Amino acid sequence: MKIDIEKLKEIVGENNVSDDIADLYVYGSDASVHHALPTAVVRPKTIEEVQKIMRYANANKIPVVPRGAGSGTSGHTVPIDGGIILDMKQMNRILDIRPEDMLVKVEPGVVDDDLNRALKPLGLFYPPAPASSRIATIGGEIAANASGVRSVKYGATRDYVYGMKVVLANGDLVNLGSNTRVHSSGYQLERLIVGSEGTLGVVVEATMGIRPLPKYRCLAVANFDKLQGAGNAISDIISSGCEPSMLELMDKIGIIAVNKAMDLGLKEVGAIILFEADGNVKEAVDFEIEKMKKICKKHNGKDIKKSYDLAERTKLFSGRKKLFASLSQYKEGIICTDLADDMGVPNSKIAETAEKIHEIAKKNNVIMAVYGHCGSGVIHTKIMLDPKKKSQWKDAEHVIEELYDYIDSVGGVTSAEHGIGLSKAPAWKKARPDMIPVMRKVKQALDPNNILNPHKIMDAPDDWVKATNLRYKVG
Amino acid sequence: MGMLGKLFYFKSNGNFKRSKKWEQELNKCIRCGYCYELCPLFKSNNWESDTPRGKLLLIYGMITGEIKPTQEIVEKIFQCFYCKNCSDNCSAGVPITDILTDARADLIEAGFEVEGTIVKIDEDLCSVCGICVPLCKYEALSIDEKDEDNKKIVVDKVECRGCGLCVAACPAGAITQKEGCEVTLPELHEKVKEFIKEDGKKLVVFACNWSMFPGMQLSESPTLVKTPYGIIVSMCSGRVAPELVLNAFDEGAWGVMVAGCPPEECDHDGNYKTRRRLVLLKNVLKELNIDPKRIRLEWFSTGESAKLERTIDDFVKELEKMGPIKKMNVSKVIGG
Repeated sequence: MKIDIEKLKEIVGENNVSDDIADLYVYGSDASVHHALPTAVVRPKTIEEVQKIMRYANANKIPVVPRGAGSGTSGHTVPIDGGIILDMKQMNRILDIRPEDMLVKVEPGVVDDDLNRALKPLGLFYPPAPASSRIATIGGEIAANASGVRSVKYGATRDYVYGMKVVLANGDLVNLGSNTRVHSSGYQLERLIVGSEGTLGVVVEATMGIRPLPKYRCLAVANFDKLQGAGNAISDIISSGCEPSMLELMDKIGIIAVNKAMDLGLKEVGAIILFEADGNVKEAVDFEIEKMKKICKKHNGKDIKKSYDLAERTKLFSGRKKLFASLSQYKEGIICTDLADDMGVPNSKIAETAEKIHEIAKKNNVIMAVYGHCGSGVIHTKIMLDPKKKSQWKDAEHVIEELYDYIDSVGGVTSAEHGIGLSKAPAWKKARPDMIPVMRKVKQALDPNNILNPHKIMDAPDDWVKATNLRYKVG
Repeated sequence: MGMLGKLFYFKSNGNFKRSKKWEQELNKCIRCGYCYELCPLFKSNNWESDTPRGKLLLIYGMITGEIKPTQEIVEKIFQCFYCKNCSDNCSAGVPITDILTDARADLIEAGFEVEGTIVKIDEDLCSVCGICVPLCKYEALSIDEKDEDNKKIVVDKVECRGCGLCVAACPAGAITQKEGCEVTLPELHEKVKEFIKEDGKKLVVFACNWSMFPGMQLSESPTLVKTPYGIIVSMCSGRVAPELVLNAFDEGAWGVMVAGCPPEECDHDGNYKTRRRLVLLKNVLKELNIDPKRIRLEWFSTGESAKLERTIDDFVKELEKMGPIKKMNVSKVIGG
């Protein structure tokens, strides 16, 4: 693909363009199993620069892939057709904090934790925080409709998007949404951009809602001998009308992995549930915690500990926070791959799904941990395998097919919070064929030359293993 | 293959005999990116190829033969201060800096010339006094005495951690590092200038990367939240040269704090040198009619962010009582 590097340098400056293999090789990868080389990496700093880049790319039909922290799990930012990687991390200014309006205006490269650090002294916070909030950018979170441990009470990114400025494929700048929590003024196009994975436009500014920090947070942990008991307790907590601000599951595989990685000394039981309540009235927080404790006990939960203390809560939660990476330490010779990582299932199906995952894994010679924000129906897992063996990738293919068929059969979704990208596309397409032509029409209307993150979601290849090179050396 | 052919092959490909043993460990990296949150190199350059996970990917690409080492790739591999914030935060257990060291050894063996964050000696300025040699805890500096009439200091490019202690200690100013990673004296001076330009900045804090940087993540406020202080990560406190402190006063700082690791906790033993240096500097300040209380040396262990915040607040309050330093117009000597 021919790209005029000098032209790009004119737009963003000499130091913000690279076509060196040292950069191309690393920008060809994210946290997924995929790898493909871009033709150039460009780092814009202003809206005008993004507009100029898009105008140039559109005129020359060059693919452009916007990229935040590169922590996506399904290959969203892997440039399957080459082209330009638009590294948005340089646009990282918090433009305005307006406590009186309970909103912030940010550039897309602002890191989630940085935003929360700025809000904390004002007694405010931005709730959707995914586990990767220490590096995840607001732009990336919008692109994936990210959510996290507190989504059970506070919802996902989409619930905080008030408005945004978006550069379209042809370079036009549009102002979407409002400065209010609700609006009914035309199509909710700002919501259309949420979860679009960089295929419809480049978010260059976002107006996001914020919330007051609760005065009290109480975190509790309960051990369960059986995974099923933990799953049932979660479903029961939700359907009983409790209001947890966090409700997390971690199975035995996860517990063993974090014990190995972080020497936490957690009891290696069948599963752990972490549940939290927050609020401004301590009695009310206590009431919620006690109610959830009772339900845990009903399902044979034991060794229940609770704490209001920040240091203690941080310690209790540390294993869950770093679980994802710790899985690579579970067993010598196998590693953690980001596959089948974030299904969403109805509340009543948590326990059944968790057990089904273990069953499918065992049948196909891989290991799968079950964990996640199960209170909001998000079940995380990873496929742990020996990446050098070709047969293990076949095993992974079988797991994915069986698992997503099951998820579809119980009325679940392919992805609850990480997005479809490349690796989840075949399963998603199989589950939602009716959405594909509609989504293609939307894409065609906004990006007629198909330059924005092409061949993702509905247009991604049908074979995820062959969609790109795998980033592991197989064989 | 003849000798020349072998050399050519070696240079263009390298055999990566040390690095290859890490293939399984490299596979463990899930590229979550938690390693770069605390990486000073990434913070200053902001390219994905500066992140620890980016470097691991480059090494993986080279050992699996997907990419060949180029000068640019080699430069990236040699840019690291070995603060180990990355490996300490890697829950996949990838020994990032160990892998990096082996890759460096392989690339040097393959014949690459490199600058990276490695120190270099200006032989015209160096008198081979040898002060730097025992200073380096990693034994990266030695005196080459092969030629009796032409002794010189040599740098072991694999062992050099880029901490810069020798740079601050060399009386002839003969040791330097490449600019671009925000740790050379002119770059640090430039940062001080930028901070002081900002409205209301009174205190400049030079923070050690090893002890304070991870803690600072919890306390440093990003854009929009104005603070009366500015924190500059100067890598080891031992590299805060006296002229850097004096420059800060000259630029208009009301006070300077050097934040280092507590005694016995410094990876480089640089904190002892800082302590001695600041005692002497306080005497110089008296001569310049500046209250020595305007300099503070404080020790912090990793993660003591609350203590850092408290200490900074106290110091700012004290400085506000003292007011700004009155400049002496004629001689440009600072006083107050």
